[in-house]
Amino acid sequence: MRDDIEQRIKQIMADIFHLDPTRIDEQTAMDNTEAWDSANHISLVLTLEDEFAISFDVAEIEAMTSFFDVVQAVAART
Amino acid sequence: MRQLVLSHLQHGRTYEAMYAARTLLGRQPGRRTHRFLRDALTGSAASATGFKRIKVALLSSFSIEFVHDSLVALGLIAGMRIEIYQAGFGTFRQELLDAGSAFYTWSPDVVILGVEGEDWLPDVFDKYMDVAEGGFAEVVDRFKNELSNLVQAFRVRSAAPLLIHNLALPGWRKLGIFDPQSPQGQGQIIWQLNEALSAVAREASGVHVVDYAALVNRHGANNWYDERMKLYAKVPIANAMQPHLSAEHVKYLSAFAGLTKKCLVLDLDNTLWGGVIGEDGIEGIQLGPNYPGSAFVAFQRLVLDLHRRGVILAIASKNNAADVEEVFAGHRFMVLKKEHFANLQIHWEAKSQSLVRIAQQLSIGLEHMVLVEDSPVECEEVRKALPMVHVIQLSLQPEGHVRTLQEAGLFDTLSLSVEDRRRGDLYRQRAQAEAERLTTTSVEDYYRDLDMELSIAPVCRSSLTRAAQLTQKTNQFTVTTLRFSEAEVARRMEDAKWVTATVGVKDKFGDNGIVGVVMGQQDGASLDVDTLLLSCRVIGRTVETAVLAHLCDEGRRRGLKSVTARVIPSPKNAPARDVFDRHGFAKVSEDDTGVTHWRLDLETRSVEWPAWFKRGSQ
Repeated sequence: MRDDIEQRIKQIMADIFHLDPTRIDEQTAMDNTEAWDSANHISLVLTLEDEFAISFDVAEIEAMTSFFDVVQAVAART
Repeated sequence: MRQLVLSHLQHGRTYEAMYAARTLLGRQPGRRTHRFLRDALTGSAASATGFKRIKVALLSSFSIEFVHDSLVALGLIAGMRIEIYQAGFGTFRQELLDAGSAFYTWSPDVVILGVEGEDWLPDVFDKYMDVAEGGFAEVVDRFKNELSNLVQAFRVRSAAPLLIHNLALPGWRKLGIFDPQSPQGQGQIIWQLNEALSAVAREASGVHVVDYAALVNRHGANNWYDERMKLYAKVPIANAMQPHLSAEHVKYLSAFAGLTKKCLVLDLDNTLWGGVIGEDGIEGIQLGPNYPGSAFVAFQRLVLDLHRRGVILAIASKNNAADVEEVFAGHRFMVLKKEHFANLQIHWEAKSQSLVRIAQQLSIGLEHMVLVEDSPVECEEVRKALPMVHVIQLSLQPEGHVRTLQEAGLFDTLSLSVEDRRRGDLYRQRAQAEAERLTTTSVEDYYRDLDMELSIAPVCRSSLTRAAQLTQKTNQFTVTTLRFSEAEVARRMEDAKWVTATVGVKDKFGDNGIVGVVMGQQDGASLDVDTLLLSCRVIGRTVETAVLAHLCDEGRRRGLKSVTARVIPSPKNAPARDVFDRHGFAKVSEDDTGVTHWRLDLETRSVEWPAWFKRGSQ
């Protein structure tokens, strides 16, 4: 289950940030990913909400600043 | 399915790609698919695809960029390759007013101004209670003036069509349950603002209202808006609603790109009525006041409405003609009558054959045809044989048929002229005229027998819409296939160097309305024609000869020495390509793309007005 979520999130992040999905790992974060700007962050949030049929609070949106955080946030809602 | 989309795109199979994309989005709706389709389209070689390229500028008061993916994806499905210019949010005034802005330099084909009411007019939204009693008249006036100024400033700088969203009504009104009762209620004021907006659009040329209020109403304000994203990220439109906005925009863009469908071909059994006439008989089919018959009555009403908006109707059904005849003649709940259909194909041959025959007999391109059909087997047969036909497969629940056809949004036009409202009748008259042609002996007798009256008049305000519409829709009898917006035609109309005219034809079967456009510019000592087109319903009646005779007269009246013109070959304009050759023009040159240039020396040659046309007025 968790693996599946991770794979889908990797694919989404790869699409939005134009990354190779195999190179996304727990270190991948807003700080070290150039395309992860505020507009693309909103794109990421909207795509995750769409894909997993969930809705985040603003506090969660602001807290998900790395791949690890994103997986945590999605897992907590699914 | 994704691989299939990519493969069709790579091999330039436009219609197959459009259908594969539609299927993919049906199975996996959502942002990921939109993004995939956008990347797939922009990644494919531009020259290898048959998509209509259209440059769209989005001006907004909020972060509208999150709709880009869905706009491009839905554009792909409709046959367009949409490129987007995104202005920064809230900068729409500067963009429109500053002639030097990057937005004008980018030269958009279409501009969309989508402003939320609360951003543009806080006095009517958040600050409604701050406005003193009686103060709203001034707010409405101010809005109308500002909008009018913006539209005028835009028109000076660009001839592109401008789409303006009207204002959505908030889900909760400021005066609560008293709001609808008060003459100054928030709802009333917003309707006044929308009326002002429509008036500005009607007075300008090439300005169209997007009914954003109806869009929000259709989905409900509670669903449409996402308060959280509005306040946090300036994205007021909810995630799931954004594609509906794009779908609305795509209807307009399809119309500008000439992709609007013209002909609706219907199956009969389980489409216009429930059951199978050949098995259930006239008493057994479901059609009438009770479910499921009531659902088929509702569907027929929608089809009749489309007919009255100018959509040509036809039938393609595998049935015994006599059974169908009995239903038309004797079923009291049939909303659609036999005379509403321009062509009937009722036999046991392949559906694709029926569609080809309808296309030929009505002179309508197959890519302008839509088939509505319940049988998956028939749908598949047509899709394989004729990928350019848009096939709508109905579900098993007839109550969904109306919505399925409405949501497809394939027949929307930017205007509705008298000609549109009568087109269905005209096509039937034309079929009758064709039948008569077979019984008359010589061609000249046929022309005389038609008792035709021809009127050629300068384009004026009342014919402007129809003239522009004809340039956008005509594919067969057109020498250059150049498309013009209303604003562009208006510019020519006001310029003394241009000769612009519409052609009207009446005959013994009725008034065909405006069926032709010609435009030429005085260039030195010659009249240079860049537009000469006729609607397919008057092809083959020598109307073009009369139009060229008129041009010669006009050239001489202006003291010019020649009439020049060019022919740009397209896959469809074969009927028009030899028009200058047939009328004594000399071929001046031909380039390697097949474009030919023609010249008629007015001092030595002329084109005579055919004797069988009476001269009339429009």
